[in-house]
Amino acid sequence: MTTTLTFKQSSDLNPALESSAKGELTGAKLLGRWLNTNRETRGIAECVITAEGEGFKVQILGVGDPGLIEWPVIQATTMANLEEEAGQRTVALAADVDFDFMRIETHIRINKGVLVIVLFCTFTDGSGRSNYLNREFFSRRD
Amino acid sequence: MQFAQLCDQIQPPSFAGDLLDIRAFPGNWINSNPDTNGIARLSVTEDQGKLLLQVLAIGPDGLVDWGMAPLSIFAAGPASQTGAGFTCVFDFGFAETRLQGMIMKGLLVLAQFHRFKDESGRTGYFVREYFALEHGKF
Repeated sequence: MTTTLTFKQSSDLNPALESSAKGELTGAKLLGRWLNTNRETRGIAECVITAEGEGFKVQILGVGDPGLIEWPVIQATTMANLEEEAGQRTVALAADVDFDFMRIETHIRINKGVLVIVLFCTFTDGSGRSNYLNREFFSRRD
Repeated sequence: MQFAQLCDQIQPPSFAGDLLDIRAFPGNWINSNPDTNGIARLSVTEDQGKLLLQVLAIGPDGLVDWGMAPLSIFAAGPASQTGAGFTCVFDFGFAETRLQGMIMKGLLVLAQFHRFKDESGRTGYFVREYFALEHGKF
């Protein structure tokens, strides 16, 4: 029996997205402790990614004054990332972080051994600060 | 002023309440990859200070019009007044797509998060594509 798949672009029909191919996806390269490549950053200092069941947990440490600021541990959504990393069947992570004064949408992926975190930050405290985006790069430390 | 990272901590802005400069966004953005199986082109239009995004994606039998979605605009920093990126969501019923765009040196880098809500068993997927603005200047 054949099944007709609904789509809104051709890449929705990629056989690599079918449930039978899910087992071929790996997020092993994401796991570990990652430090910002920019030691002068005023953003994220460190990120630790751990596996939990079939998913991933992300712990981010922001640069504070003094010391580091521990963000809430995030349960990330895992998505197939089929086109980067030389076509290997790896994953990218999407996660939202809620502070009581700010909401952050983020995505995390590996590109040529570098962990890339992109943040879209929305202030909810009426402070007048502009909502902003940021992108930072991390190298593996263990 | 609360912060999660030092860069959030700025002098109280004098421009609080002003709208961001959104001039970088309107126009037609064309995918740099002519062989894409994803989004072919984006059209950003302004309506009363708000931006709307229309997506035309590649389908097996021609372009698929996703319709329009409102954009949330982001600056390059909390003290900046210049729009540098956006987010938006398209809900198709059977799937949901979140887009995160950032403009760098005239190039729009678009991260796409496609999540299926139907019973097809397909896994969600991530794609990053690049778009250039049709500016007719060179």
